[in-house]
Amino acid sequence: MENIFLHFGDRFVRIVTILIESFPKLLVPCLKITITLTLFSFFFGLILALIIALVQVADIKGLKQFARFYVWIFRGTPLMLQLFIIFYGLPSFGIFFNGYIAAIIAFSLNLAAYNSEIIRSAIQAVPVGQTEAGYMIGLNYFQVMVRIVLPQAARIAFPPLFSSLIGLTKDTSLASSITVVEMMSVAKRIAAVYYEPFWMYMEAGFIYLMICTILTKVQSSFEKSMEWKQPTDTSTEMEALKGESIREDRGLR
Amino acid sequence: MLGVKNLHKSFGSNQVLKGIDFEVNEGEVVAIIGSSGSGKTTLLRCMAFLEQANDGIFIFDDLKKDIRSISKKEIKDIRMKMGFVFQSFNLFRNMTALQNVMEGLTTARKVDKETAKRKSMEMLAKVGMSDRANYYPDQLSGGQQQRVAIARALATDPEVILFDEPTSALDPELTGEVLEVMVKLAREGTTMVVVTHEMEFARNVADRVIFMENGVVVEEGEAKKVLSDPKEEATRRFLRRILRKEEEE
Repeated sequence: MENIFLHFGDRFVRIVTILIESFPKLLVPCLKITITLTLFSFFFGLILALIIALVQVADIKGLKQFARFYVWIFRGTPLMLQLFIIFYGLPSFGIFFNGYIAAIIAFSLNLAAYNSEIIRSAIQAVPVGQTEAGYMIGLNYFQVMVRIVLPQAARIAFPPLFSSLIGLTKDTSLASSITVVEMMSVAKRIAAVYYEPFWMYMEAGFIYLMICTILTKVQSSFEKSMEWKQPTDTSTEMEALKGESIREDRGLR
Repeated sequence: MLGVKNLHKSFGSNQVLKGIDFEVNEGEVVAIIGSSGSGKTTLLRCMAFLEQANDGIFIFDDLKKDIRSISKKEIKDIRMKMGFVFQSFNLFRNMTALQNVMEGLTTARKVDKETAKRKSMEMLAKVGMSDRANYYPDQLSGGQQQRVAIARALATDPEVILFDEPTSALDPELTGEVLEVMVKLAREGTTMVVVTHEMEFARNVADRVIFMENGVVVEEGEAKKVLSDPKEEATRRFLRRILRKEEEE
C-alpha cells in the first residue's frame, strides 16, 4: 500500500514539474507563432473577404462570377489540402514559401471565402428601405454604402466574424503539418520526450482555451460598444443649440 | 412642377399602373387615395425613381422627358430637390436623430458641419423633436421617428415632398402628432404629394384629391368636393368602406 501511495506521489510531483517546466515552452510559440499567425491571417482574410463580398453586392460583371468561383473552391476543399498545395505543391512550379508564410497565405485565402459569405449576407440583411432613404436624401451609391449600409452590416457581421476568428485561432494548429513550430507541434514534441501525452495536450488545450476566453470577453465588450443606444454628444455647445431650437419651437407653435 | 403623363408600370405580368396622368403645382397639397393594391404607392415610388416605370413622360420643373431615358445623373439631380417620407420611416439606424437630418446636408450637399447642425436643429424643432436630437431611432416611438423623418426630408429645402402613407405604420394614438406636423407644413405652403388613408387629413388639408383604383385614376378634383360628393360609383363605394372602418375603430 505504502508503495502505491509513494508511486502516486512521485508521479504527481513529476507531472506537475513537467507541466510547470513546459508551460513557458508552450507559451513562447503560442505568443510568437499561434497568435501572430492568427492575427495576420485574419487581417488579410478580412480585407479579401470584404472585396469578395462587395464585388458580389455591387454586381460587377465578371468579378462577381469569379468571386462565386473562389468561394466555391475554398469552401469546397479541406484547409489541410490548401496548406499542402501551397507549401508542398507550388514548389513544383518554382514558387517557394517558408512554412509560416505559406500558412498565412492558406489561412487568409480560406478565411476570406467563409468571411465573405458572412459579410455578403450581413450587407443583404440591411433593410432595402435604408438604402432607399439614402438615395432620397441625395446620396450616391458609394455614399450609401459607406455611410449607411456598411456600418449597419458591420454590426450584423461582427458576432459571426468573431466566431471565425476564434475558429482560426485553433485552426492554426494545422500549420504544424507544414513544419511551422507553433504551440501544437511543441506540445507534441514535449509529450514524446516525457511520455506524458495526456497532460501535455491538456496543457496546450488549456492555453488555447484561455486565448479563446479572452477573445470572447473582447467580443462581448465590443458588441456592447457597438450598440446604437444612449444619447451621445452632450457638449455644452450642443445644449446651447438645443435651447435655441426649443425657444424657436415654441415661437413657431 | 412635378408630374407624369401616361405612366405605365408592371411587375412581371401584373400591370400596376395603366396610364396615369398626374401633376402637382407649386404650393399645392395633393392627396392620393384608394384601396391597397390600387397602385398609389407605386405611382409615388415611380416619381421618385425607386421603381423603374415601363413607359411614360416625366416632368420636373423644366425637365420633360421619356421616363425611361432619364439618366442616373438626372435622377440624382431630381432627388436633390425632392423629399420622400416613407411608410416605415427608414431612419438610418446607425445615426442619431440629428445625424439623420444632417446627413443629406453634410454628405450629399457638402454643407459645412456647423451650418448643417444649425439647420438640422431648426428642422427638428419644427417637428417638435429637438429634445430628442441625440437619440437613436431605436429609442424613439414610431410617431417620433416619423417626425424626425419629416425633418430629414425638410432639411434639404426640397421643392416637393412625397409622403408614402406616413401614418399607416403607426399606432392610432400616434398618428395625430405626425398629421399635426404635416398640417403645419401644408399651411406654410410646402408642396406635398400624400398617399394616405387619412380621410380627415385629405379633406381638411389637401387642395386636390386623386382617387385611384386598379392602376387608373378614377376621379380627381377639389378635395372637399370629391370626398363629400363623389361623382363616380367606385369612389363612393371606397369612401363608404373607409368610413365604416373608421367607425368600427
